[in-house]
Amino acid sequence: MTEIKHGDIVLQARGITKRYPGLVANDHIDFEIRAGEIHAILGENGAGKTTLMSILFGLTRPDEGEIFVFGKKVNFRSPLDAIDLGIGMVHQTRKLISAHSVLENILLGHPRAGAILDLKKTAEEVKALCDVYGYKIDLNTKVWHLSEGEKQMVEILKALYRGAKILIMDEPTSALAPPETKKLLETIQLMTKNELAIVPFITHKLPIVLSVSQRVTVLRRGKIVARLNTADATEQSLAMEMVGREVIFNLERPDVKIGKPVLQVENVSAYDDKEYWATRNISFEVREGEIFGIAGVSGNGQQPLAEVLAGLRKASTGRVLFRGKDVTNLSSLERWKRGIGYIPSEQRAVGSIGEFSLVENLLMSYYYDDLFVKWGMIDAKKVRQLTQELIEEYGVATPSPDVKARNLSGGNLQKMILARVFSRKPRLIIANLPTQGLDVGAMEFVQNKLLEEKKAGAGILLISEDLDEVMALSDRIAPMYEGEFMDILPGGSAQRETVGALMAGHKEKAVGA
Amino acid sequence: MWEFWVRSLNASTIFALAALGEVVGQRAGVMNVGVEGAMLFGATIGFIVAKTTGSLLLGFFAGIAIGAVVGLLHAFFTITLHGDQVVNGMGIWILGFGLTTYIGSPYAGPLGMSRIPTISGLSPFFIVALIFTVAIWFVFFKTNWGLKIRSVGENPTVAEVSGVNVVRTRYWSVIFSGAMMGFAGAVYALDYNPVWSYNMLMGWGFIALALVFFSMWNPYILLSGAILFGALWQVSLNPESLLPHIFSRYIWRTFPFVITIIILVIMSTHWFSSRWGAAKPEALGQPYEKD
Amino acid sequence: MKLAGYTLKLEKKASFTGLEAIVISVVAILVALFLVGFIFLQAGVDPAKGYQAMFTYAFANPFGAPLTINRAVFILLSTFAFIVPIRAGLWNIGMSGQLYFGALTAFGVAYVFGARTSGANLSGAIVIPLMIVGGAIGGGLAGAIPGVLKGKFNTNEIVVTMMLNFIGYWVVAHMIKEGGPFMGSGGEGEGFKLPASIQAPIVSGVSVLTLVIALLLAVLLYVLFTRTRLGYQIRAFGLSPAAARYAGISPFQIALITFVIGGALAGLAGYHYFGTTPNLNQIPKNYGDFGDMAFYGIICGLISQGNPLAAIPLALLFGGLTSGGRYVQGKLHLSYGIDYALLGVLMITLVAFQFFFRYRVVFKKES
Repeated sequence: MTEIKHGDIVLQARGITKRYPGLVANDHIDFEIRAGEIHAILGENGAGKTTLMSILFGLTRPDEGEIFVFGKKVNFRSPLDAIDLGIGMVHQTRKLISAHSVLENILLGHPRAGAILDLKKTAEEVKALCDVYGYKIDLNTKVWHLSEGEKQMVEILKALYRGAKILIMDEPTSALAPPETKKLLETIQLMTKNELAIVPFITHKLPIVLSVSQRVTVLRRGKIVARLNTADATEQSLAMEMVGREVIFNLERPDVKIGKPVLQVENVSAYDDKEYWATRNISFEVREGEIFGIAGVSGNGQQPLAEVLAGLRKASTGRVLFRGKDVTNLSSLERWKRGIGYIPSEQRAVGSIGEFSLVENLLMSYYYDDLFVKWGMIDAKKVRQLTQELIEEYGVATPSPDVKARNLSGGNLQKMILARVFSRKPRLIIANLPTQGLDVGAMEFVQNKLLEEKKAGAGILLISEDLDEVMALSDRIAPMYEGEFMDILPGGSAQRETVGALMAGHKEKAVGA
Repeated sequence: MWEFWVRSLNASTIFALAALGEVVGQRAGVMNVGVEGAMLFGATIGFIVAKTTGSLLLGFFAGIAIGAVVGLLHAFFTITLHGDQVVNGMGIWILGFGLTTYIGSPYAGPLGMSRIPTISGLSPFFIVALIFTVAIWFVFFKTNWGLKIRSVGENPTVAEVSGVNVVRTRYWSVIFSGAMMGFAGAVYALDYNPVWSYNMLMGWGFIALALVFFSMWNPYILLSGAILFGALWQVSLNPESLLPHIFSRYIWRTFPFVITIIILVIMSTHWFSSRWGAAKPEALGQPYEKD
Repeated sequence: MKLAGYTLKLEKKASFTGLEAIVISVVAILVALFLVGFIFLQAGVDPAKGYQAMFTYAFANPFGAPLTINRAVFILLSTFAFIVPIRAGLWNIGMSGQLYFGALTAFGVAYVFGARTSGANLSGAIVIPLMIVGGAIGGGLAGAIPGVLKGKFNTNEIVVTMMLNFIGYWVVAHMIKEGGPFMGSGGEGEGFKLPASIQAPIVSGVSVLTLVIALLLAVLLYVLFTRTRLGYQIRAFGLSPAAARYAGISPFQIALITFVIGGALAGLAGYHYFGTTPNLNQIPKNYGDFGDMAFYGIICGLISQGNPLAAIPLALLFGGLTSGGRYVQGKLHLSYGIDYALLGVLMITLVAFQFFFRYRVVFKKES
């Protein structure tokens, strides 16, 4: 390979097209990536970013089009081909093996790894790389001990150790807390000094794009709609290009009288599945008509906390009161019967049963109800009728209530889950990442439904990663970090920066801010 | 007493060989609950070949080969056709059990060949099992192969994007795993108890399978477990030497199976798993589908 | 793959219709029979003649047909023992152990009534129902062990049920051999014979009582799965344990209930075969053969996709294959175990055909 000079074209795509039944995911995509440059690729969910990334990394083959790497036409059969040519990938859902050590992960699949592994030599080489970018990491730690930021670091190290010259990054800042983001941006700028080409694929977080990239390519519905120098772009112009219309993010915040506490949590701690402390000494209360928002990056104990409150995980200390009564030792079923509703974060794995029809899915919240089940026999007609009604009320797009849940889109499935949970008229709603992965329309629908329930006097515990969502909906906000509430702030007057710093664990800084 | 321990170690050899095979497959993410079936194949085919050719060596090769073929079959069904691993394992067990009954019955009876020389009663295959234990541990934790095997068992998607050929790695692991089971069966039929009878293993394969769960996928713990079970088996066969006149000899025969259940239960308690951690390969039992 | 201008493609199937399931199953069985044909050939027998002899004996012979039906009832009950837990995603391969224990408790009831020694004029109307209940309880208790262990500790149910098969096997040996309490008067390692007064009613060689019970159970189980709350909970758990837990369904209860029901059904199978089959009415020396035959329940349960009604014709077919298999083995001088070979080949063929439940082969004309 000849020496790469700043500004050389290192990767070029010509007419990349990929069709799936019923949609063109990539429609004649052309662009080029230059050495020493950060070239952001922007687009909403469903704009075709994932497909394009998979094609560039050899995971998917395009139906048409050509790719040139360092001027040579290439035909990737597998990611290995891409890796060999110097393309590295940093995935959004980290592609690391959690049971293995950092070093083993870096070595895995490396073409120069001998039959018998020379761990010592590799460790030295990786340490040298770490020094260049100021990374501090124990190479013998098992990956599941690491934070999201550290895992990303390992992915980057792995790519660099294999000689990556072009680094594709999928939503690089999505799981990171603000200080980790800052560190990452410094690192990639340092990399461009070493003539690496960085290609971040980004959905939101437009300020980040503007602050570090040199060029931006915007995708919409599988096509390139804009190629810009970052210097010529503004946040508004990029958003316009991405969505194709002016974006108005506006929620009516109803004025609701806050009533008696429905949920009181006192000193609750719990372990996670690996027997590590997941939440520690959490105390708070949620009142009627109140939305209590927990803001935090996933993996900071929100999930175990939600499960403890829903009766799906044992609390190791403390107690949980629902409408004044101690429910700490009650089963989840008993809690549903008393008026707790839980919307789990995994809608397909937990919130619904894919192989069941919508009617049978609705039964998940009705099989214990004697109005629908007599003498152990299910009144199928009645359940079907209720399903039909809820489908209409919630505007679920489905040809019939007998369709399997598996066949619904994410947005429609979430509507169905909401319909199921809300139709039981819960007094407390635990909503765990209720808008995660939804398109804008479904997202608005879910948020408005939560507000409606608030108006109806339910207490709502909203767990979200989306700071904007929490800020917009919550009456009070608790930033959560490493299993603890950093503070509890009033929703109306809290500063975005303060909440952001707190959810990243920066208590002192927040006080100063 | 020496007699007792020697017989125990000889029995443990068979448990260890079969279970080591299963560990390799499971580390690569493929469970084969049909250990018993693969062993029956190895035992029966090994026995028939040795008896008809008069060569023990050929018998062992035949046992290993048929085991590898059974492994290949399992690999094809589970890896290529994405079949359910448990269903396929069941299939292999019942196929082995049914077919070997038919194939073997004309040869029922003793092998009638000179016994393999022993070291004061200890079968040389025990040494072989020892070597395999150390070798497999070394491969798992010190070599590139081992890293690949463990990786495809933990998370095949990650292994694939790191450039590991998941399908090939799993195939070889499962074929090796089957060969080991076939070998274990052949050792049973040609050395340990060279008399063919229908369903001759009477659950040894299932005990070997349970041993893998005990071992936490570690070859050394596995070998210790195998030795323990070898001793248990001997106690159940000759209870009089240890505890005379407590139960009938038939009740004693249930002994190893009861202990298997008890140990399995202890291993699966929260108390145990929270102390010694779950080393279970994360992708065990899940078919890998590239899309 | 390309064939003469057509592209052959595999497409993942989301679901299959009942008709597809029937077609695939029938083809699978035919393929298995075809493969076993090679065993006939190898033994120097014309497969067509072999099968003809087999099926004629099994379904049209005055001695064979009742034997087929008795075995079919046995296999059907074993199938139910497999189906109930498998609908909850749990593997019960302990039918043989459960049926041994069921047979022991059923005969235990007779024993308590003094059937071993006196053979006196016992009342069948009292003892027979009690034996049936006893069989179900014994099997159910044996099933409770893996159920509790799975529910409480998540212990691997395959290993546990298999271990219990061997435990059951030796416990039966203890009871009927070498001076065991249930030893028969012959003293050749078989259990005592039921006196005529408490032998189940037989019509043309078929135990009608247990036949009717098995058919009723098929309907009952069908209703259980399609119409009832318990059936819903079992199915939900089987499809997604995490979602079922979220819905408030207790994993412990599901594991326990399904294994107890499964065990009880296997216990009934034990009573049925050893307690009612004409000319048997005792636990025979070769009781292990019937423990093995119970494994047809796995095949039958897998082919019927957990549908208890679909299991009826399958059980009849397999009953015929086992009774006819034994017959042709003797008549055509095949070596022992042709029925076992059939069992094995059927199972592996079925496993191979599982593929077609998940994929469909599509031919597309090259454009």
